[in-house]
Amino acid sequence: MTRLVELQAAFHALATRAPSPPLAAEAFLVGSRELSAAERAGIYADMYGWRLADALREDYPKLASLLGDARFLALAGAYARAHPPDRPDLGQHGRHLPRFLRRLPAPERADLGDLAALEWARAEVFFEAPATAAAHASLAALGPAAFPDTSIVLVPALRVLALDHDVAALWRRLEAGEAAGAAVAAPTAVVVWRAGLDVFHAVVELDEARALRLARAGRPVSAICAAFADREDPAAAAFAALASWLDEGWVAAFRLPAAPGERA
Amino acid sequence: MAFTRRLLGHGVGLRTKHFAELLAAPPPVDWVEAISENFMTPGGRPVAVLEKVRRDVPVVLHGVALSIGSTDPLSEPYLDQLAALAHRVEPAWISDHLCWGSHGGRYAHDLWPLPYTEEALRHVVARVQHAQERLGRQILLENVSSYVAFRASEMPEWEFLAEVARRADCGILLDVNNVYVSARNHGFDPERYLAGVPADRIGQVHLAGHSDRGAYLLDTHDGEVAPAVWDLYRETVRRTGAVSTLVEWDDRVPPLERLVEESRRARAVEAELLAPGRRVA
Repeated sequence: MTRLVELQAAFHALATRAPSPPLAAEAFLVGSRELSAAERAGIYADMYGWRLADALREDYPKLASLLGDARFLALAGAYARAHPPDRPDLGQHGRHLPRFLRRLPAPERADLGDLAALEWARAEVFFEAPATAAAHASLAALGPAAFPDTSIVLVPALRVLALDHDVAALWRRLEAGEAAGAAVAAPTAVVVWRAGLDVFHAVVELDEARALRLARAGRPVSAICAAFADREDPAAAAFAALASWLDEGWVAAFRLPAAPGERA
Repeated sequence: MAFTRRLLGHGVGLRTKHFAELLAAPPPVDWVEAISENFMTPGGRPVAVLEKVRRDVPVVLHGVALSIGSTDPLSEPYLDQLAALAHRVEPAWISDHLCWGSHGGRYAHDLWPLPYTEEALRHVVARVQHAQERLGRQILLENVSSYVAFRASEMPEWEFLAEVARRADCGILLDVNNVYVSARNHGFDPERYLAGVPADRIGQVHLAGHSDRGAYLLDTHDGEVAPAVWDLYRETVRRTGAVSTLVEWDDRVPPLERLVEESRRARAVEAELLAPGRRVA
């Protein structure tokens, strides 16, 4: 196996333009008069870069359009060097990009990481498992006694994002082909979800986002309602929010607390 | 050890651009090939389209990430996902490529050629056997187009492919365009390649377009099938007889109607060659 391992290590280094390849192309690849061994390896290296950039462009179309081809290609190259693909699914290659952008020492725009987070969430929910949404009647059927201890099961195709910029407005401007000025810096909560086969997102109040995260964590309705404690009428706000979650199809089911002695 | 060819007729690849049409009406072809990795997700539009198409016509699964020739361990989670997808879709068969595309846990998402050595042969055969056991079926392996050849190679590509199929008892997905592209890039006779591949192991044929980059041909799948590739397809059908054939068109994807037209051309070529009175070797 040694020889095959060594040849693959050498070729992998050339085809991904690793900084210190163990072998020069001519040492183990056949060249010809028309095309040297190095030029042949270069064909693969070019395709590696293009393929990864294309995969990112598919998941981050707004970021790509905001940056333009040259800057997006440079970003894709830097990202691939920092996060070479480590899964068989090419669609997973871009999953670290929001964090990568947020950690850049000198980002050209502070809002790019948040824009990328929104786009990645949209890509993720597109491929999530389908679920039947709960009807309003299922809420009514719970009864007031069980309600505070009931937990809310959200559909899988839903993400709650905590962002530092209002990139939903930026996304809208990019979608409309308008000038993409910087997003307003402000704590912003965005919910991303899929209805049928279409993906949507919307800005929600920060306390509602907190309530959704509590629901996702399996906390009971009483704890979820506490997220609205700063509202004038917390119970009414919580109920209105829950009704809107049902309207949008974000709730898959209500789970009653386990009876004593019953396995949860 | 035997391989039984299943005849599905003439098909096309399942591509995003055609999803709306395929949701609205059955595909106007005999069968459809789906890229396995694009459908290993729990939900979303691709899965919905695949389930709809599967109700209309037979589907085959064609993978690009098995990395059967890599010295990395075979990805068991990947094989689990592929087995689960196959259970759901019940494909007529499953194929991937005779190549490698991962090293040291890093995936290139490309189809890199192997050095054609006895060592690589033993390595690939063992992994094909493992994959077939995991999937509970024979798989088909496709020859890839290539731009490099290894100095270490001890046999021509066609001999390596034939030996893998014989020793691992798997089928061959013969990509005629890839044969032509590699023949031009490495200076071998494509008909010699065809003669070296056991016709009775060929379960499927791919046709596709390529681009002429001057010093080499690039397998771009972005246009119609080239005349020289049609000639090679004729030679293939003379050797195999009727064989399930699929036209790939993955970049600058045309309207479905144009793609189907290319597939009908393959059907016409096959019909002309296999008409009564025409002898097929």
